[in-house]
Amino acid sequence: MDQAATTPERTTQDRLARLGSVLFRFRSLFGLLAIVALAAVLSPSRNGANVFLEPRNLLNIVRFASENGIIAVGMTLVILTAGIDLSVGAVLALCAVGAASFLMRYGWGTLPTILAVLVIGAIVGFVNGFVTTRFNVQSFITTLAMLGVARGIASLWAGGYAIPLAFGDGPGLAPQSFKSMFAGSVPILGVGVPAPVFYFVGVGVVATFLLRRTGFGRHVYAVGGNETAARLSGVAVDRVKIIVFVISGLLAGLAALLHAALVNQGSHIDGNGYELNAIAAVVIGGTSLNGGVGTVAGSMIGAITLSVLDNILGLRNIQSEYQAILKGVIIVLAVMVQRQRR
Amino acid sequence: MDDAPILDIRQVSKRFPGVRALHDVSFEVARGEIHALVGENGAGKSTLMKILSGVYPDYDGEVVFDGAPLALSSPRDAQHRGIAIIHQELNLIPELTVAENIFLGREPRTAAGLLDRERMNREARALLARLNLAVPPDRPVKWLRVGEQQLVEVAKALSLDARLLILDEPTSALSQAEIDRLFAVVAGLKADGVTMIYISHKFDEVFRLADRVTVLRDGECIGTLPITATDAAALIRMMVGRSLSDLYPKEDATVGDEALRVEHLQLVPDEGRGGRDLRDISFVVRRGEIVGVAGLMGAGRTELLETLYGARPPRQVRGKVVVAGRERRIASPREAIEAGLAFVTEDRKTQGLALALSVAHNMTLAALGRFLRFDIVRQAEEHAAVLGEIEQLRIKVPGVDAEVGKLSGGNQQKVVLAKCLLTRPKVLMLDEPTRGIDVGAKAEIYAIISHLAQQGSAILMASSELPELLAMCDRVLVLCEGRLMAELSRAEATPERIMEAATARQQARTA
Repeated sequence: MDQAATTPERTTQDRLARLGSVLFRFRSLFGLLAIVALAAVLSPSRNGANVFLEPRNLLNIVRFASENGIIAVGMTLVILTAGIDLSVGAVLALCAVGAASFLMRYGWGTLPTILAVLVIGAIVGFVNGFVTTRFNVQSFITTLAMLGVARGIASLWAGGYAIPLAFGDGPGLAPQSFKSMFAGSVPILGVGVPAPVFYFVGVGVVATFLLRRTGFGRHVYAVGGNETAARLSGVAVDRVKIIVFVISGLLAGLAALLHAALVNQGSHIDGNGYELNAIAAVVIGGTSLNGGVGTVAGSMIGAITLSVLDNILGLRNIQSEYQAILKGVIIVLAVMVQRQRR
Repeated sequence: MDDAPILDIRQVSKRFPGVRALHDVSFEVARGEIHALVGENGAGKSTLMKILSGVYPDYDGEVVFDGAPLALSSPRDAQHRGIAIIHQELNLIPELTVAENIFLGREPRTAAGLLDRERMNREARALLARLNLAVPPDRPVKWLRVGEQQLVEVAKALSLDARLLILDEPTSALSQAEIDRLFAVVAGLKADGVTMIYISHKFDEVFRLADRVTVLRDGECIGTLPITATDAAALIRMMVGRSLSDLYPKEDATVGDEALRVEHLQLVPDEGRGGRDLRDISFVVRRGEIVGVAGLMGAGRTELLETLYGARPPRQVRGKVVVAGRERRIASPREAIEAGLAFVTEDRKTQGLALALSVAHNMTLAALGRFLRFDIVRQAEEHAAVLGEIEQLRIKVPGVDAEVGKLSGGNQQKVVLAKCLLTRPKVLMLDEPTRGIDVGAKAEIYAIISHLAQQGSAILMASSELPELLAMCDRVLVLCEGRLMAELSRAEATPERIMEAATARQQARTA
């Protein structure tokens, strides 16, 4: 647009434009609020109370958003560099199988298990990043291949079936501390806040800090915004890309710990399709798949939005097929809003 | 010839939220003339062209085209009315053939409804012949040179039977030979009765081609003059609203120590990949000096700067580079920056800036290390540095968080310059530092460069614009086919001598 002829007259048009830009900037949040309001209206009531708005239900929503949300934070970093990580669901499966194996088959304690699982996630992420940068392969391809490889390894490791987790203090049982660390709850103001919520929020805060306040964060945006310009400005582009894949793998590992503790097992079919949920959350949160534009907070809101949808549709006993269709519509709407603005 | 103007623009205004892009613009374009449109970036040229080509259907005022009011709903509509536009950035699809591009969306079909490739190629060949372009119509456009691609765009416009052809800075990416060829085509079209609006920053082109010229400034029409009734100085005055006493404010600088010494530099591109090689290039740049790099398109100007900057794979590079007395092996841009080199690239949009990011974040990207403690950005210091550069270089921005992509070309270029300066370079390398920016911003960039040299920076500046090199440089290196053919002092450097050296190898071959 031409810029020289700026005569700042305050017209109604300008004020509307200003309002529009505020609405646009916080579009994911407004979208979430709108869906929450709609859900509250549509919610069934029990004993005169709105089921949807019960604190326990609201906490559940965030709890169920946590796994996807944590993965989506890692996905956000990758997408900000204009990459994609399709392997996160499979990495979750591999890590969940790993966690179950370490705890049940090898009798490891909680801490060694956590460390080993996170290391596995990080190594897979490193391989994703290394292959993508060293051999100049699109990350779509690299991580699609990794999706198959990780799930295959998970299946071989598990022996083709789910490894059940039995918690207790005797021999042959997984330590109770693992269960309480990842699936317990902490009472705050009389309400039991599920443990996953803390990891979710913690990961979000740390990632936001990384992106907004550190040199690494600047480099992430620069690489996604214009890779050539970033390289010519002295940014170690390949290193930045490898690091975001490592973080993505690491967070898939963390999500696997939460998942295993929640469902009391580790299986090679865990996390099926999670990569798509994470991408959906990122997109709803306003991050551009072209890279360089987006926020972690948006992706977290996106994950919660998806969780609210699941929740209200579940409360209304609506078939899962409709849930899938509705989710699809919302994703497209979110992208359309962004296109409109360009 | 019909006396009524083919295009009559009457009191056209266009507003965007907060911006008055055009205000009461009126002028006429006579049938069959070449009408130049000049003005600084942001003067409203592109807005006006977007109205004429149907991109902006809403505006105030009236436009009469060929006797009837022009009410366009889309660019396609404009094509139907006989208005074609050739944009600065070409709109061809690289993978498709020349003919497919020309007939895109209007492909001839056989009776069976299938693509009539034979007819398409035949018609394309006829159009290309009219433009003297000897390119097979079934060749993919990506294999063509930029100048040839431009002519394909012209062929496309001709195939639409355009009666009004708008050329928006058509020569910005062309070599001199390609420009001459385009001008021959333009002259031919004029003889055929096609009316043209010619937008350009280059006055020599305007004076060479145009019959009349209209000047826009700040969205207003300053005046329309016969080209014979004006000169460059008068046009510049009209464009910037003040007289530019000197476009090239060269300051006297004291020449100091050697900042950059290059010995026997070679660039050997990988086998089979093509690309310009560099052979045995040696030169020196001292503090306070502005050294120019001249040469025709493809002579290796950009390659020379990129090689020095470590932007080429190290395995392709040989030779010795000494920066401020220390020999350096520069294998990446990162190492170049550490060694004290900075590089303002030729194309700010693809190589210089992340357009969606803020002014501040672009500006400090290369020098970010200075503002980090344990990798955490010290925002107060960063902010102060950014504000300092904005003030120093007089960059017009709504704020440090403004998106860089929304700035004008000149201001974008200043942001790139600021990014380089923040690294506190010993040697500043510039590639086409004033490409695609208006005359006012050009003068400012020249002033900045001049001032930097005066303060003791060493500057290596590659350019395809001879006037700029002649006016700014203390010495000029002339490249031809990757070889250093001449090193001319300011006194020796004349357009003739530079061109002679720049074409020496071609002449040797023909002799």
